[in-house]
Amino acid sequence: MSALIVAALALAALTGLLIVLTRDPKRQIFALAANGLALGALFFVLQAPDVALSEIAVNTAVTPLLFVAAMAAVAINEMRR
Amino acid sequence: MTAPWRLVLLAAALIVLVPSVWHVAAALPPFGHPSAQYGPAINAILPAARHVTNMVAAVNFDVRGFDTLGEECMLVCAVTGAVVLLRGARGERDEARAGHVPGRAVLARSDATVLVCRITATLTLLFGVYMALHGTVTPGGGFQGGVVAASSFMLLYLGEGYRAWRRIIRGRAMDALEGGGAFLFAVAAAVPLVIGRPALTNVLPFGQLKDLFSGGLMVVVNFCIFLSVTGSFGLLLLEFMEETRSPAEDSVPDEADR
Repeated sequence: MSALIVAALALAALTGLLIVLTRDPKRQIFALAANGLALGALFFVLQAPDVALSEIAVNTAVTPLLFVAAMAAVAINEMRR
Repeated sequence: MTAPWRLVLLAAALIVLVPSVWHVAAALPPFGHPSAQYGPAINAILPAARHVTNMVAAVNFDVRGFDTLGEECMLVCAVTGAVVLLRGARGERDEARAGHVPGRAVLARSDATVLVCRITATLTLLFGVYMALHGTVTPGGGFQGGVVAASSFMLLYLGEGYRAWRRIIRGRAMDALEGGGAFLFAVAAAVPLVIGRPALTNVLPFGQLKDLFSGGLMVVVNFCIFLSVTGSFGLLLLEFMEETRSPAEDSVPDEADR
């Protein structure tokens, strides 16, 4: 197991932990995106570039955007009442 | 439950779990040395049998292509379900005006943002198409290409703003991409049945190894998945964005409002 893999694993674990420790949902969304990036790097280091691509696109780009949109929708609805 | 009791529970769980997990983990094959024979077998057989170099695509679209057809149906069902849920509460009417959280400042978009977003959105879309087209040759494929292409729609939104974005990304076009891709996939799966072969049999000429259009039916299936995934993710983005738009006067109220 090379140092690169160890570093990528540690980074994935660290960013995963940070998602849980972040309590503000808005910050949590960005923590989730960072974790997706770290996981993408891990998959790439483990020689699975196609999985890394879908991981980054889904977990770093699309899912956070859906969460942001959902939170905005909730905020707009709250204000209307 | 109070904090000390939680710690007691944690300690009890650790006492039980740590030795057993350690026991199992110690018996695992060493890291980076998988004992499964499937991967080496695929690597040995498929380049000659199917004339492709991306073994992941070969497994997904040919060896277990029927599973992929099921997964494709699952994706279509999931996205359709999400769209029905969201549109059901909101009504079909769409209004091209961005919603905005009251009390939050709306800053004008800088020219640099618009320019960078236009350039990167174009490049991202091209990269998605490229990745999908080369699905049988290099890592990537229809799903990855589709998701990357759909993420270019987000860059468009970032650069153009809600109103222009709605004019570019049409809901009907996304519907057609999603359903059309899945339909073409099903047709491609059914064509071999017509000539009396099992479904998804690779009946097309395989082409040359390392060539762009190698892999026969895989090229078609790969592109169908690209269309469908692009449409699915585009539709999801569109529906979630629609949730934030300003409500029309006669929009259907939420259940809780009645």
